[in-house]
Amino acid sequence: MAQELTVMMLTWEFPPRIIGGISPHVYHLSRSLAKNDVKVYVVTCDFPGAPQHEVVDGVEVFRIDSYKNPAPNFATWVYLMNMNMQKEAAALVNRLGGKVDIFHVHDWLVSNAGIGLKHVFRKPLLATIHSTEVGRRNGIHSDYERMIHETEAWLTYEAWKVICCSNYMVSHVQWAFGLPKDKLVMVPNGVNAQEYVKNADLSLFRRRFALPEEKIVLFVGRLVYEKGIHVLINAVPKVSEKVNAKFVVVGNGYMKEPLSNLVKGMGLAHKVIFTGFVDDETLRNLQRCADVCVVPSLFEPFGIVALEAMAAKSPIVVSDTGGLSEIVEHDVTGVKVYPNNPDSLAWGITKVLLDENYANRLKSNAYKKVQENYNWNKISLQTKSVYEAVLNEYSKSFWA
Amino acid sequence: MRVIIFSWEFPPRIVGQLADYVKKLTVQLVKNNVETYVVTYHDYLTGQYEEPEGVKTCRVTNPVRTHIGVLTWVLTLNQEVERAATNIYYNTNKKIDLIDAHDWHFIPAAVTLKKAISLPFIYSVESLEEHRSHGANSPFNMAIKSIEWLGMYEAAKVVVKSEWMRDEVVKIYKVPVAKIKVIMPKSTTWMKDILENYKSVMGGEISEWLKN
Repeated sequence: MAQELTVMMLTWEFPPRIIGGISPHVYHLSRSLAKNDVKVYVVTCDFPGAPQHEVVDGVEVFRIDSYKNPAPNFATWVYLMNMNMQKEAAALVNRLGGKVDIFHVHDWLVSNAGIGLKHVFRKPLLATIHSTEVGRRNGIHSDYERMIHETEAWLTYEAWKVICCSNYMVSHVQWAFGLPKDKLVMVPNGVNAQEYVKNADLSLFRRRFALPEEKIVLFVGRLVYEKGIHVLINAVPKVSEKVNAKFVVVGNGYMKEPLSNLVKGMGLAHKVIFTGFVDDETLRNLQRCADVCVVPSLFEPFGIVALEAMAAKSPIVVSDTGGLSEIVEHDVTGVKVYPNNPDSLAWGITKVLLDENYANRLKSNAYKKVQENYNWNKISLQTKSVYEAVLNEYSKSFWA
Repeated sequence: MRVIIFSWEFPPRIVGQLADYVKKLTVQLVKNNVETYVVTYHDYLTGQYEEPEGVKTCRVTNPVRTHIGVLTWVLTLNQEVERAATNIYYNTNKKIDLIDAHDWHFIPAAVTLKKAISLPFIYSVESLEEHRSHGANSPFNMAIKSIEWLGMYEAAKVVVKSEWMRDEVVKIYKVPVAKIKVIMPKSTTWMKDILENYKSVMGGEISEWLKN
């Protein structure tokens, strides 16, 4: 290709706005693509203090005013935000003289904008589906949820190709929206292992959370049903019978208050700490000094926190579900336990905490696997080849 | 002249007064040698169709079938409106002079097309949320008002059907009076005023071909 491949990426979160896994995903993917000679424009929601336009590691980032319209609920806010995002992105493409080859969107949160841009500029649309409504809610139970589900279906229908981050998600998305198999592509999620290198003595840092004789059991994730945090809380007494451990719970969500009440009621308030949302530095340090990281999800499309823990050289205990099943090989790179089963989870945590040799073996195997399979350079090259395949097909269509 | 009309109601779909008005408008436009396309909504009578009077219609349906209210319904319908409108745009070799958007429903599509392909649009006001909802200011009403505001702000001209409505538009949305055109449907100069107003808006980059 004589001309540089140009991609416009739409995402509702991009650092410093971090809500879930999409933000770091788009950040790493876009900067790795830029290193591999893809011109990337990211259009995303604004964040207090972040500039409207900046260049981040070779990626042009545009932040739109996303809270200007009053909205009665979250989904309506999403659609209104899309109206604004589409308007701003359209103006940007117009300024660039239409020189965008592909629109790449992440999840239903930016579907309207992506679909509109596809038709207005007649360029192919690619969608990465990180998660689905039917998966998040374990079924569809209301018109509100069905509307989101149908918006996701609409996005997958309009997309040239649908990218999923695990084989589990490929089959889940294929089932959820009835897609032809050749429309789906698996490109894994990744982690930047260098960010997790231990660079200082953390014993003082550790004392902020636990006594020296306490082991640290770390949970990182939104405090919502599908992440299974309640399973971990229910496993705390069983683990505490055998090991003196401190449970550190990082993240926010609608279950935070009920859970902290539950913990108080169980008489475990001194053993379980809810830190809320923490900054990157604190999070990485926690992952570096944790004695075990736990991912007890009930539904997990990929499970990036497991990869992060592996990169930070912390042993992991995960529920045997979704993408986690693919990342972790039981007894080799981590421990798999039964999903939604506090007894099984407690068994896994105890096993890792009581057997240091076993934990060390898991750690070093996991670290090797992360470096080999989940590095962003490799992932961005895989993504670039998806772009090229799509553009090749597109060049034969009447839109070209 | 070639124009695209956006309206969420058009016969056979009649919700209020707007359908009949837009029907009358488009038939008269055709009689005055304006190539007239209508992009509108119908639940199941979808696709392109040329009406007996020569108006070219394209009816789109909502790709998302389940909704929690008219606001989300409208916001997912707009991408189909954009698809239909840009199909017309590309099929006519990008030679469209303007869009005339009636009421707030398809304002998001009109604004996107303005930003994307520099196509000017007129916002024709039939009614305002302020009056429809008797001044209610819940987030739902305010969201609709914010879309009306966007339309007023981005439109090349705002057309109202009475002097009273002109004053309301000025009062509620602080639109400069010079941007508002009062064109009364009952007036004897109605069609002449409509055409003059269209001509005053044309002449963006896209309409260069007309001058040659």
